[in-house]
Parts: sequence; C-alpha cells; structure tokens
Amino acid sequence: MNGVHDLGGLDGMGSIVVEQDEPVFHAEWERRVFGMFLPIFACGYYNIDELRHAIERMGAQAYLNTSYYEHWLHAFETLLVEKGVITAQELAERRAAVAKGAA
Amino acid sequence: MAINREQALAATLVGASARVDVSVAPRFAVGDRIRVRNINPRGHTRMPRYLRECVGIVERDYGVFAFPDTHAHGGGETPQHVYSVKFSAKEVWGREGGERDFLVVDVWDDYMDPAS
Repeated sequence: MNGVHDLGGLDGMGSIVVEQDEPVFHAEWERRVFGMFLPIFACGYYNIDELRHAIERMGAQAYLNTSYYEHWLHAFETLLVEKGVITAQELAERRAAVAKGAA
Repeated sequence: MAINREQALAATLVGASARVDVSVAPRFAVGDRIRVRNINPRGHTRMPRYLRECVGIVERDYGVFAFPDTHAHGGGETPQHVYSVKFSAKEVWGREGGERDFLVVDVWDDYMDPAS
C-alpha cells in the first residue's frame, strides 16, 4: 500500500532545510538514541528491515510530526516490547519516571 | 551476543551491509529492459511507489542481498540480486518529467519482470 514514509514525488512537504555547520546531534538525547542502535542489533532483537518497518508502522500523523531520532526510539520501544525484552508496563513506568525528572 | 568497543566503532564508522554471501543466479543482465511490478504489500517494501509499472534499463548488478519484503517479517533473507536501474524522468513523472533527467534506483530482483 502507499505508506506515508514513501515520500518520493509527494508535493506540499515544504522545502528541505539545509543547516550551516549542522551538528551531528541536535540534543544529548539524540546521541543516546544513536548509541542504542548497535547494542540492540548485536543482541539479535531486530534486523535492519524489521527496524525500518517498525518506523513505518508508527502511523501517518505520528511519523510526520516526529524527528529522525524519535523514529528510531519509537522503533526500539516497539520491537523490544514485541520481542518480549521489556513489557509495555515497564516502558510506561520508565516514561513516567523520566517525565518526573529521572535520569 | 555482546560486542566489544572495536566492533562497535567499526560498525558505526562503516555501517553494516545486507549483502548475503551465497550464490544466486541473476534473473537480469546489464542492458536488459525491465518493468517494475505493480506491488502494493501491506508490510515492508523497499520498492518506491512512484516506480510501479515503470520501464527501465539495468545498468549494474550489485550482487546478492537480503530481500526486505521477507526479511522484515521473519520470512528469511530470500537472497537475490539487486540492480542499479535507470529510468527516464518522463517514464516516472509523465510529461512533467525533464527531457534530460533520469532516476537511478536500486531495485531487487523480485520487484521486476522483463519488459517486452
């Protein structure tokens, strides 16, 4: 089917922003998300195509309203819950703790 | 399986390939005219939607790689050739396509049929 991620030829998305002296990461949390990719992969919890598909399953609105590394984080969470490494409840509890200021 | 610092550094710097080290016969050769299949899977695919039914020319055979459409869904690697295929902008975008413009896209074997 036509996925929202398949943007080639789609009009109305605005111009591509090219940053001068673009930093590798725009925030510390992006660095941490990048660092999570390889250990989870090396533990065998996903292959690259499963990871891409997990991003594609976000839903069109969420996909367009979130950034590149938010897509990655969403995919890690989705696949680690689906593969039974963490539970949805553990994820929710951790989210709540972070929202309250936990590191 | 754990990875050490050196392995992590190497993978981060050069990436990891989806190349599969098995021998599979290619269905196409450089110079062949191919037509991209009209496929609309519910799951993962690496076939861009704008290429459906487009006719192009095989420019290069990259070798054997995992097939994303099965690999994303626990269906195994289904190893097959991936080609660099050249499409005219007119073929892809119709009359709005530039006269001298082309798209060169990586296309898996199972996305294509021979074009008559």
